[in-house]
Amino acid sequence: MLLELVKRRRIAVGVVAVLALAGVLQFTNTNPAVSQTLYLTAYESGKDPGLNPSNGAWKDAVAVRVPLTAQLGSYAAGGGTVQTVSAKALHYNDTLYVRVEWKDATQDDASTRVEDFSDAVALEFPAKTASTVPSVCMGQADAGVNIWHWRADSDAGLKDPVEIYTGASVDGYPSTDTLFYTARAAGNPYANPDLGAVQTLVSQAFGQLTTSTVQDVQGKGAWANDAWAVVFARPYTSEGPDHAGFGAGARTDIAFAVWDGSQDERNGMKSASQFITLSIAGAKVPGGGGFNSTAVILGAAMLIGFTALGIGLGVYGYREGKR
Amino acid sequence: MPKVYNWQLGREMDYRFEGGAAKRQFAAVFNINRCIACQTCSMACKSTWTFSPGQELMWWNNVETKPYGGYPNHWDVNILELQEKANPGGQVWDPAKKDPKTAPYGTFDGKTIFETADGVNTMATGYIPPEADWKAPNIHEDTSTAIPAGGASLPEHAGWFFYLQRICNHCTYPACLAACPRNAIYKREEDGIVLIDQNRCRGYRKCVEACPYKKSMYRPSTRTSEKCIACYPRVEASDPLTEGLPMETRCMTACVGKIRLQGLVQVDANGEWIEDRKNPLYYLVHVAKIALPLYPQFGTQPNVYYIPPRWVPRPYLRQMFGPGVDDAIAAYTNPTRETLAVLQLFRASQRIVFGYRIEQGPKTGELNVGGQTREIFNDTIIGLDSNGGEIVRVTVDEPTAERPGQLNSL
Repeated sequence: MLLELVKRRRIAVGVVAVLALAGVLQFTNTNPAVSQTLYLTAYESGKDPGLNPSNGAWKDAVAVRVPLTAQLGSYAAGGGTVQTVSAKALHYNDTLYVRVEWKDATQDDASTRVEDFSDAVALEFPAKTASTVPSVCMGQADAGVNIWHWRADSDAGLKDPVEIYTGASVDGYPSTDTLFYTARAAGNPYANPDLGAVQTLVSQAFGQLTTSTVQDVQGKGAWANDAWAVVFARPYTSEGPDHAGFGAGARTDIAFAVWDGSQDERNGMKSASQFITLSIAGAKVPGGGGFNSTAVILGAAMLIGFTALGIGLGVYGYREGKR
Repeated sequence: MPKVYNWQLGREMDYRFEGGAAKRQFAAVFNINRCIACQTCSMACKSTWTFSPGQELMWWNNVETKPYGGYPNHWDVNILELQEKANPGGQVWDPAKKDPKTAPYGTFDGKTIFETADGVNTMATGYIPPEADWKAPNIHEDTSTAIPAGGASLPEHAGWFFYLQRICNHCTYPACLAACPRNAIYKREEDGIVLIDQNRCRGYRKCVEACPYKKSMYRPSTRTSEKCIACYPRVEASDPLTEGLPMETRCMTACVGKIRLQGLVQVDANGEWIEDRKNPLYYLVHVAKIALPLYPQFGTQPNVYYIPPRWVPRPYLRQMFGPGVDDAIAAYTNPTRETLAVLQLFRASQRIVFGYRIEQGPKTGELNVGGQTREIFNDTIIGLDSNGGEIVRVTVDEPTAERPGQLNSL
């Protein structure tokens, strides 16, 4: 009986501690990467971030490290080669900017050879019409998702093999009309040489991913120092009925997926995150220093506090056990 | 995974989808014994479908020299190795477990490419041949390394090779179709032709990876995969040239060696051929049993059937065409009167022959083959279209005419 009571008291202490921690994190808007609940906050940028990932506007934005895991649930399963992405968000002139960076030792930005697969990254948001938080696995009937898919090969531009293999000897092509680029003639967006770097897609179920009729996301990637950095930009409002909706002070969710082309990753073979919260704050980017000092102080204080609590509980448990 | 029946293996097998996709099936018989590797079929196909930027390495139809040649290089050796690795020592047939209709070649006791795959990472065991493997079709082929002493003589040559003519097999259980994560590949109900939807394809190349025959090919200029379309405008008679009657494909009709015969056969929900005794393909595959599927053990139930070359060592042929090889070669070496007549239909017409009728003719010869006496009758075979109308009439003895002497002095 006494033991039961002790157990209950311990659980109660634990629950209170977790609630307190959650409250503190929520209140201070800090982003500890180890938390189950990650927050990405888009503050207003002092200047136009543009699409260049090395634009100075990103310097003060706080990065959130988002863990990724292999997609193992459905065919074609795979991935897991990229373990985290570092994400930042800003807004400027009623446009949301998201910058994603991840380690990748190879720059795979061509799909020329049959064995070449492009590096890629995608952002996923709930559709503005979603009645609940959708399944991160391509949405559900009452809650669709909107995906922004950047591909390195699309960013680099689609070329014919003879433009790449400049030494190739070709007798000639009887016709180079669009009709003879079959997929292009069939209206396949990925076969279009004018395709932008980012494709906007919508989905309401696994296996139903479709290119949206409205293409309004811009993006640009840059590879340097064994890492990709990619910037996405879209105005808050979108004509796309199943697209994500944004607004000052609004909250939504965002998930990430990365493909490493040199690991033959494509389609479901990817490293993907769960949904994390994306907040669009009215305020300007705080600080201006290299790191968020409030978060560091709070974090240190919490670490000491919880260590003390842990030791206390441990000692308490040891004593109780001795009785 | 659903179970489907594969009559070529004489058993049920795992496949991603239920069977019964087609009511009629595109099928062909290629007589390897007659091929001279002139590549007219390859050029007929190339000049019809794959002459545009990005299709440089694409040969929907190719002719390769066995045993060393392959397009892409070593495709079959590679698949056989992968399968052997997945099921060491187990890739064997039991020729005794035979049934004339449901297991004509016996039973395959090994695993198909679908059964060695996990169904989550892959739907069929395979690999993507790198670009280099597609770049040099026929390289180093026809290069003799030795001439056996004493020359060559039947039944088997000590030094041997043969030509293998390959197109998409428009399989009853296509691996490409099973592997496509976007369901961009479909098999047509009306003729069983397997097509890649060029609008839906995203160039993931899972089909290139899965097709054991390597007949799904990647096109970098559109970032999609393309494949043999079985000249469907001709087969479905929508091409104005056909004048409304189903016509054989370009590679078939261009065949100089008259090795090819293509048509449409009726199939049931199990993918088994419905008895159609007077369809020449049904006759050659299911009655005479002289034409066999290529690597049936892969499990896709391919629909191009080969009359195996008589002079090649049997173990090699059994690996390639299954245990039906010995009977097929025996039946081809000493063909029946009906078989000899049906063989005349090869390349007699561009139109698809749906049925035939034989009018018996006089005995015109007698010869001894392998200790057996064979009589030759100059029968006439009449090829019929889908409505039973006559489209062609050929005799076993090819008519000859002597050129009048005065024409020799031009």
